Amino acid sequence: MSQGTPHVEDVLGTVDRRLWRRILGHARAYKGAAYAMMAGGVILAIVESLLPLVTGLLIDAVIGEASTSRITWLGVAYAGLSVSFCVIVWWFIVAAGKLATGLAHDLRQASFQRLQELEFAYFDVQPAGWLVSRLTSDCRKVASLMPWFLLDLCWGATFLVVVGGGMLLIDWVLGLCVLAVVPVLVLVTIFFQRKLLRSSRLMRKTNSELTAVYNEGITGLWTTKSLSREPENIGEFQTVSQSMCNYSMRNSIETSIFLPIVTSISGMGVGIALWVGGVQIQDGEGLSIGMLIAFMQYAVLFAMPVRELAARISDLKGAQAAAERIQGLLDREPEIADSEEVKSRITAAAAGQRHGSAADGGDHRIEAIDFRDVSFWYKPEEPVLEHLDLSIAAGETIALVGPTGGGKTTIASLLCRFYEPCEGGIFINGIEYRKRSLHWLQSSLGIVLQHPHLFSGTVARNIAYGQPEATMEQIEAAARTVEAHDFITQLADGYEFEVGEGGSRLSMGQRQLIALARAVLADPQVFVMDEATSSVDTETEHHIQRGIEAILEGRIAVVIAHRLSTVRSADRILVIQGGKIVEQGSHEALLKADGAYQALYRRHFAGS
Amino acid sequence: MSTRPARITRVMLGEPRLYGAAIGAMVLSSLLLYLAPLVPQVVIDGVLLPSGEGPSGFERFILSLIGGAEFIGNNLWWAAVVVLLLTAAAGVFSYFRGVWAALATERIVQRMRDDLYRRLQRVPVGFIDKSETGDLIQRCTSDVDTVRLFLSAQVVEVARAVAMLIVPLPIMLLVSPLMTLASVVLLPPIVIFAVVYFKRIRSAFLDVDEAEAALTSTVQENVTGIRVVRAFAQQQQECEHFDERNGRHRDLDNHLYRVLAWFWSTSDLMCMVQKMIVVGTGLVLLGMGKLEVGAFFFFLTAVGMFVWPIRQMGRILAELGKAQVAMGRIDYVLGQPEESDGESGQVLDGAALDGAISFRGVSFAHVESMPVLHDIDLEIKGGQTVALVGPSGCGKSTIINLLMRFYDPDEGEILLDGVDLRSIDRASLRSNLSVVLQEPFLYSRSLHDNLAMGRRDAEESEIVEVATVAAIHDSIMQFDEGYATVVGERGVTLSGGQRQRLSIARALLRDPAVLVLDDALSAVDTRTERAILGALKERHHRHTTIIIAHRLTTVMQADEVIVLDEGRIIDRGPHEDLVRRDGLYRRLWDIQHEGMDALGEGGT
Repeated sequence: MSQGTPHVEDVLGTVDRRLWRRILGHARAYKGAAYAMMAGGVILAIVESLLPLVTGLLIDAVIGEASTSRITWLGVAYAGLSVSFCVIVWWFIVAAGKLATGLAHDLRQASFQRLQELEFAYFDVQPAGWLVSRLTSDCRKVASLMPWFLLDLCWGATFLVVVGGGMLLIDWVLGLCVLAVVPVLVLVTIFFQRKLLRSSRLMRKTNSELTAVYNEGITGLWTTKSLSREPENIGEFQTVSQSMCNYSMRNSIETSIFLPIVTSISGMGVGIALWVGGVQIQDGEGLSIGMLIAFMQYAVLFAMPVRELAARISDLKGAQAAAERIQGLLDREPEIADSEEVKSRITAAAAGQRHGSAADGGDHRIEAIDFRDVSFWYKPEEPVLEHLDLSIAAGETIALVGPTGGGKTTIASLLCRFYEPCEGGIFINGIEYRKRSLHWLQSSLGIVLQHPHLFSGTVARNIAYGQPEATMEQIEAAARTVEAHDFITQLADGYEFEVGEGGSRLSMGQRQLIALARAVLADPQVFVMDEATSSVDTETEHHIQRGIEAILEGRIAVVIAHRLSTVRSADRILVIQGGKIVEQGSHEALLKADGAYQALYRRHFAGS
Repeated sequence: MSTRPARITRVMLGEPRLYGAAIGAMVLSSLLLYLAPLVPQVVIDGVLLPSGEGPSGFERFILSLIGGAEFIGNNLWWAAVVVLLLTAAAGVFSYFRGVWAALATERIVQRMRDDLYRRLQRVPVGFIDKSETGDLIQRCTSDVDTVRLFLSAQVVEVARAVAMLIVPLPIMLLVSPLMTLASVVLLPPIVIFAVVYFKRIRSAFLDVDEAEAALTSTVQENVTGIRVVRAFAQQQQECEHFDERNGRHRDLDNHLYRVLAWFWSTSDLMCMVQKMIVVGTGLVLLGMGKLEVGAFFFFLTAVGMFVWPIRQMGRILAELGKAQVAMGRIDYVLGQPEESDGESGQVLDGAALDGAISFRGVSFAHVESMPVLHDIDLEIKGGQTVALVGPSGCGKSTIINLLMRFYDPDEGEILLDGVDLRSIDRASLRSNLSVVLQEPFLYSRSLHDNLAMGRRDAEESEIVEVATVAAIHDSIMQFDEGYATVVGERGVTLSGGQRQRLSIARALLRDPAVLVLDDALSAVDTRTERAILGALKERHHRHTTIIIAHRLTTVMQADEVIVLDEGRIIDRGPHEDLVRRDGLYRRLWDIQHEGMDALGEGGT
């Protein structure tokens, strides 16, 4: 049921290096910043590992009453290292910012572009929320982890090599003794990082469940109250909030065990250094007090890179699902797109633009539309349309009527090339529409849907959606045509009224009128209206009927409606049932024919 | 301003014992963490370096605790074991600190989440209507997370920083007051710098948040409106619009990184200088023979242990405001009045209910989004079917909302079986009225569960029966999983008509005394509608039915049709009477009925 929610066991898998290399490939533009990060990591590790050494040398120099110049020299080195540490910190944060924000930006840009190209079937199966989080949180997660991964990889590796090597160089016996704790440290760290990764994944999953339950609780409140279901809802919520609490506790307990164990292992290293080094000093074997102190500091520091490296690797694993989702989106080829041939014609036509021709060099005018033997299905065993033939001549208005699920909307969607026929073809001016530019076709159509989507912004901006450069006069004229002007001027700010997200501040009927005005303003060659006025009240619908008829005059129009009063004026009415055209003709002719239409008509007006 | 801190402390005081225990464990663990480096110090000073004046009295005391100088000198491994034991013991306490603090936090947060959800279920629907869903969810999720982070990490972090500083102070002062001064001299500037800097760059954080919100809503709108984008071939413009927001977000975010780079590097430098002061002062004292090497080592370690937490503390203090703002936003929700104001109303006996409804002089005005009603008088007998008709905004739905007690009338009274609604227990009232809305809400679970929501104990056969009446059974059987099919975000998307029919079935299953169809058939085609109305008619005697519809053929079979306009009843009567009278109803009928003549005889 939870498609897209990665299975918890995934996190125990390995890091998919190929995937991450591809993600890194998107950061090619920020190569400089990436190298800067890596260099920063190396230098930082060297500086950090030198600091205890210099401190140790300083102590030795003072105890041993070395020359003032040596002490001064070491003091300057110490100060210099401290200052360069700070400079590097500044340096890599700036580089990290460049890389992280740039990569996030580029991934988003590419993903958004791809979303604009993908076919509708993709949006049918992907809930909007999932798509949105792909572009927002997934991109953020993947991009912001990248610089720190590069930094810590270089820093940790350098630190381990320099400090480990340094200790061995200074005193290999003592060095080996202190390093003996490292394997234990590594094992413990890996063990706990896995556990933590798993529990934090569970936390995140439960957290999104929690959000979903809140969402349902809020948006479904009317229904909940109608069903007086509040107590059950509260009970169900508490189950989720309890498991959230449990997973958070599990995560906290694991962290609370993990960190002390790491500290204890470091303590063991310090103890070993004190013991073995102390014995050496007692025996007068040459190890100095300063070096012993340096060794003990190294023993403490050693846990750091191990911990950081392990944490970054589990970050990578934790974000792997997000990376896969983004890469998956980017890799997806749009199923409905201009063919190579069409693309090359568009390029060719752009070079020598002929007057009156479309961007792909073909006819701009749409004179005739023919469905020839068109079949369509989502699943082959359940055909939606079967061997449909339909010709629409220039200037003709056709109406599609018939029961729900009969295939009316599918015909409209195929015409708009939101979907393509599974069999057969749709011909425009005698040319199969897959041989024409998709953009040309869709910008020639004016499509009004039953549940019109408005964008947040003003009424005026919504009406001008297809024609952003339209003047206020044009916008008002369009609104008047569909009888929307009066209600708009009665809104608080008239045409400047903010419609809210998805048009939520307007009623469904008002939204439909604005959508209608939007299509009118776009001045398309072909109108497609799918239940475009189903929520408009009867009187208003009656009023706009004339306006719409005037607009449809001389254009091709395909109208779908339940209300027969809406379709009566069509040139031709087609009754669609079970994926087939069962009857067609003018209103008067069909009424006389005593067939499916007449039955529909009688049912509509009569009692039984 | 002065009341604000009270909010967050009030929340923290919810688990005083756990927090107290956590703080105790923390003090003990930091004490032990400091004792651990003391051991190498005294060993170096007292055992390995028996130079000059020898170990101080304090150091001799510590040495004697772990076995005395001579014993240690011969058994250095014991010192190692002591170091390990001390860190392990510190670990045990830090474990308890972590677990107790987490337990306190999680309990508080869980309580807060439950309270929020409970409150949101009990507020009047008007509150939800005037609020933005996204904003409410944000209050319940990210604001709660902010408070949680504050309680679980930041409070503990501040307490730890304080403990790390306070615990070693006596020892440090005992060993060397001058070195102690050198160790803490830069701490106040470090904290002040952090607080001031973060306060000043708060707007940079807010800018990024805003830019991200703008980015998210752009994507959200594009994805939900993708059909319109394609229908108007606006992909190019949408991309440009997105690019602009995307670029702005990148620039602001990048700016934030730069600002933070200055903070971290500068405050790192201050911490480093603090260490340098310790090293410098220590070396001078060491050279003068006024400090033992072991003590020097101890100071070095101590500074390394408290300087970073102290810097963090500064940042956290600056971010305290965030948690307070979040808490304020949560309190806003928790402060909303609940719908049932405590009155213990009468509980209805569903089976005995007749379903007679009267509106007596009902007027209603005060909710902005709802049409006004003027002086409505209405008598509906039990078992009657009544239709409400009128243009959009005439007040039809408001009547239903008053009947359901989503709102209460300003004037007049509404009676159910002769009882004033206000004296009836709200839950009991609603479970005897079933309303089907135009845009019904389905829960994201199986179809079966959605149907059974009205009545938990419904049997399979009853569910199938109501689904058949609502003409949805056949559609359900076409799904691969039948009644087990999950709907909503995570499952199958249903068409508007399917949702309406499903919720009609859900309402019927409750077998309510009063059934209300609020434009609940608008997305159902005429044939299906007729089938549903026919089946409802057969069950007629069982319910008082109120139908709201635009299509007059839907309402013509009602016993009485009420015609509303601008919040007033302008006409009423059976369909046959109304079509004969001149008026709104007749006008609507004519519009919808034009062309009927073509059929010759018209009607039945």
